[in-house]
Amino acid sequence: MASDGSNPQSRVLTGVHFMLGNYATSEGALAAGCDFFAGYPITPANEISERMSQRLPEVGGTFIQGEDELFSIYAVTGASIAGAKAMTATASAGYNHFQEGIGYAVAVEAPCVIVDVQRCRGENFATQADVMQMRWGTDGDYEIIVLAPSSIQELFEYTVRAFNLAEEYRTPVIVASETTIALMRERLDIPTAEEIEIVNRKYTDLSPDEYKPFAAPEYGVPDFAPLGEGYGTIYSINPHDEEGSIDWDPDVYERMYDRLTGKIAKNRDVICQPRSFAVDDADIVLIAYGSEVRPALDAVQMARDEGIAAGLLKLDAVWPVPEEQIKKATAKAKEVISVEMNIGKYANEIERVVAGRVPVHRCTKNRGIIHSPEEIYRSIKEVWK
Amino acid sequence: MKPLKIRFCGFGGQGIILSAITLGTALVTKKGYYAVQTQSYGSEARGGQCQAELIVADEEVRSPHSDEKDVLVAMSQSALDRYVSDLKQGGILIVDPTLVKEIPEVDGQVIEVPATQTAVDLGNRIAANMVLLGFVQQATGILTKDELLSAVQDLVKPQFIDINTRAIEAGIELAEGINLEVIE
Amino acid sequence: MSPKLYPRRENTRPDSLPHMFCPGCGCGQVLNYFLRACHELDVKPQDMTCIGGVGCAARIPVFLDTDALHGIHGRTLPWATGIKMTRPDMPVVVFAGDGDALSIGGNHFIHAARRNIDVTCIVVNNLNFAMTGGQVAPTTPLAATTMTTPYGSSEPPFDLCKMAETSGATYVSRWTTAHAMQAIRAIKTAMQHTGFSVVEIITGCPTHFGRYALGTGDPTKVVDWIKSAAIPKTRADKMDPEEMSEGLVVGEFVNTQRPVFYGSTIYESGDNDETS
Repeated sequence: MASDGSNPQSRVLTGVHFMLGNYATSEGALAAGCDFFAGYPITPANEISERMSQRLPEVGGTFIQGEDELFSIYAVTGASIAGAKAMTATASAGYNHFQEGIGYAVAVEAPCVIVDVQRCRGENFATQADVMQMRWGTDGDYEIIVLAPSSIQELFEYTVRAFNLAEEYRTPVIVASETTIALMRERLDIPTAEEIEIVNRKYTDLSPDEYKPFAAPEYGVPDFAPLGEGYGTIYSINPHDEEGSIDWDPDVYERMYDRLTGKIAKNRDVICQPRSFAVDDADIVLIAYGSEVRPALDAVQMARDEGIAAGLLKLDAVWPVPEEQIKKATAKAKEVISVEMNIGKYANEIERVVAGRVPVHRCTKNRGIIHSPEEIYRSIKEVWK
Repeated sequence: MKPLKIRFCGFGGQGIILSAITLGTALVTKKGYYAVQTQSYGSEARGGQCQAELIVADEEVRSPHSDEKDVLVAMSQSALDRYVSDLKQGGILIVDPTLVKEIPEVDGQVIEVPATQTAVDLGNRIAANMVLLGFVQQATGILTKDELLSAVQDLVKPQFIDINTRAIEAGIELAEGINLEVIE
Repeated sequence: MSPKLYPRRENTRPDSLPHMFCPGCGCGQVLNYFLRACHELDVKPQDMTCIGGVGCAARIPVFLDTDALHGIHGRTLPWATGIKMTRPDMPVVVFAGDGDALSIGGNHFIHAARRNIDVTCIVVNNLNFAMTGGQVAPTTPLAATTMTTPYGSSEPPFDLCKMAETSGATYVSRWTTAHAMQAIRAIKTAMQHTGFSVVEIITGCPTHFGRYALGTGDPTKVVDWIKSAAIPKTRADKMDPEEMSEGLVVGEFVNTQRPVFYGSTIYESGDNDETS
């Protein structure tokens, strides 16, 4: 525990730090109230596990290094159902194994936080290539929340928010980390515990006789009941009715998935809080997420310095897609550029949202390293010939 | 202030990355600046070469990498040969003459700091990186000696604080009379 | 069957019976044995969490009046570990089929035993994949015919109890559905045991294993086969291995104590080394 003089037994290491990204993710989790972590070694996510193995026991939590990623994801869902705020972390290849368990967590509405430090297949170079894997990987219908931090400060803050969203919507929330920021050190200002908003899941006030484990308002979230107190909840991935009974009934099935997807899709404007930079008068609007926001902002500055009216929409949540905000930010734009560190994936979503109203150009880089500002600026100039 | 871009390079085991972390920690947690530190990893670092980059500013740093460095600190010949082209025109090149015998022609200031020899004289060759940090602190004035030593205390295991402190002080002595302008 | 065999009907989930197990399936018997064990120990499934994976046996918790996790194949023990770490006060019982415990979940089984998690694992071994239609399992006897070994199985089976013992389980026993009293006693011992306790129960599957491997779908004949295959441990100890290679040894194999798992790292006070 370097670079801070504060009490290491504290969940919240209030103060100014020069911290590794992976450590900041762990500290965000601890500040949010995480009390269970299971992980399996994989580079470049190891420092998250290492930090959790040191810090969690200090604050009364449990750390487990499992036998594989499947252990991690199911131990996390089990702990979550039992009442813990639980997290696991991996890098891209390990995320493949998580997919199975994410489907379970979605179906039984088990809140949990999953960190994917994206890397290039088998090599620890930078990429954003998992942006679709994080959305579409598991079986069945679902919506999911994926947050994409761009800095060490955001790794901390978005991890806190990931726990809060997980608890509020009873859903797995993914933190889309990247090699670039995970292995970078940067200034991190950790506020006091009082300044950090914490959301906790709701437990039912009803008796076991009155309680229906999956009853909720339209597009709403059901209340939890504690385990082992006679509520008799079945947490099954199989289609289940409001009582939790496993039952095949097309009406039940359709209603269940309308709510499971609706609770996120219908709240997308609350969940997504993108920030815009100089878009009001922009002819060219860049859209970026994660680490790519950083050079994109530099490129916008370079363009403005040269008299080109460029702006940036910085996405915080990439899933659900902030459709209204993208429409609004691009309403007056003549060109849109999707900036990504992959072969150009999220650009398809942007294209879908703007629906032919404005051309969507792709500024992609798939070389294991973040764009330089100059490279993005060149894209702007090409579009603005 | 214009962002200050420093690269430390050498080979694994010299404490190259620790140099960047120590300087970054001091500048952020003691001085109150913003900083970003990155390093080579994976197969990029093959051949035992090692480099760490530090960008320091008085506001949030955006792009974490920079094309041109203001300062290049080289602790091996091969790393210097590889990274010297990244030094900006008029930049500062700091080399350890024990490890670097051929200094390429550069458009800038070249300073030889006998860090390894100094560390050997102090009884621990591995403290050469701290000699260099002491030198950088004194010659550039971007932070105070106390700020640097305080960061070392936060980062280094107790049994190594003494040798590191002595190495930094020796580096400061080597910078006597040298004034490097790095902050614009 | 005598109504006396259902002593604690109130411990079944309301309106969940009749169960969906095939006529002659041993899962119903295991459900019954568990209810009986709870009754005799005066403990209630309501105070526990019971876990099933995927397969026939995985449905057992669904008929119990308990909190249950269900519907994922092979991940019962990771769930159990997460739950137990979070709620060490609450009993956790896993009902796993042989496919669940030894095939897809084999790795988890080994590590749960190695860690000695304080969980009871009842493995309902019907010697084949029954829910999916009678395919070969890691427990299927050598040369047995199944839907995916039409010429007989070339795969030697696992001995689950030996694997549990070698991996570090602290209570291990095997019985069959033809050994009702012994099985109930073993479940009771397992539930009172602190540490990873494994009770394997060999069950009849007339619908699939019976018809394909034994050439009979008659439940009584399947039970007869189980009875003839079962060799009490006391007798097996005196037999030479050749003689009993086809047999299923029943009895209690392990009953010991060692520290239970509470997380991967030892943590007592606050004096951990500081590392950066």
